Amino acid sequence: MSTAPNQPTRVLTVDDSASMRALLNHALASSGFEVHQADDGQAALEWLVVNDVDVVITDINMPRLDGFGLIERLRAGSRHADRPILVLTTESAPEKKQRAREAGATGWIVKPFDPDKLVAAVRRVAH
Amino acid sequence: MTAQAIHVPPAAERITVLQGQALVSASPREEFTTVLGSCVATCLFDPEARVGGMNHFLLAEPPASATGFGVDEHYGVFLMELLINQMLAQGAIKSRLRAHLYGGANMRQGMAPIGSRNAEFARRFLERERIVLIREDLGGNNARRVDFRPVEGRVRCRSVAPAMAPAIRPARRPLTGGEVELF
Repeated sequence: MSTAPNQPTRVLTVDDSASMRALLNHALASSGFEVHQADDGQAALEWLVVNDVDVVITDINMPRLDGFGLIERLRAGSRHADRPILVLTTESAPEKKQRAREAGATGWIVKPFDPDKLVAAVRRVAH
Repeated sequence: MTAQAIHVPPAAERITVLQGQALVSASPREEFTTVLGSCVATCLFDPEARVGGMNHFLLAEPPASATGFGVDEHYGVFLMELLINQMLAQGAIKSRLRAHLYGGANMRQGMAPIGSRNAEFARRFLERERIVLIREDLGGNNARRVDFRPVEGRVRCRSVAPAMAPAIRPARRPLTGGEVELF
């Protein structure tokens, strides 16, 4: 679901690190995105029951519900089946990337992220 | 007099942690070691899981950068997260982590205080992540040698001759960092 014309693209970032959330918020908000943040997969899942976004950016290693679990749960329902989900992670193992792909991720970004590349990727998958 | 067996602990296997590395161990035989000038080393351990790790970083940008001696927080947060994630993978729990910080010296008078800026970044990171800092030896003008037993969380930090500190080599992001792959 896309936002109306002239409405900012809404992004939900999911990361258990407060420092990473601060970096993401700065990079995305300063590029005109409306940023919402959750500190793990479970918090994101609960927030998405009653809220909508255009793009989800999620870490993999998180307590309670990790990024793989979040993607699988979102893809299992109809409401977020087509929502673009970008994985942003320190993981570089090919099997982890493959697992994210099979779970239904839209893309894979390796930390440390480049703010310009991240913003370009969000714009690309949001439309 | 009866002969008694004397327990001699096995010699530690010393592993040097280089700038840009984050290493974790749950082996009581291993000891991490590093020498710091302006760089900062974070030692983390979980006393219940008996696992610990050390990273070693210098975040200052090169002087030719547009912002002068700023601090590249992206790379710092990445190296901290790398250390924490490796520890969690070996059974540590974030809320149980205890931290030590060492280094961050300003080795040459008249030069930008990059050691202080690295130390500030590390303190601020721990505060944001609510990781308890139990000991720090930061700042000053002396190089330091740090030996860390990851399983016990035991640290020995000594001043060493400035010549022993590695040369200032600002961090470069890994070549693979930031790459975007759309499926």
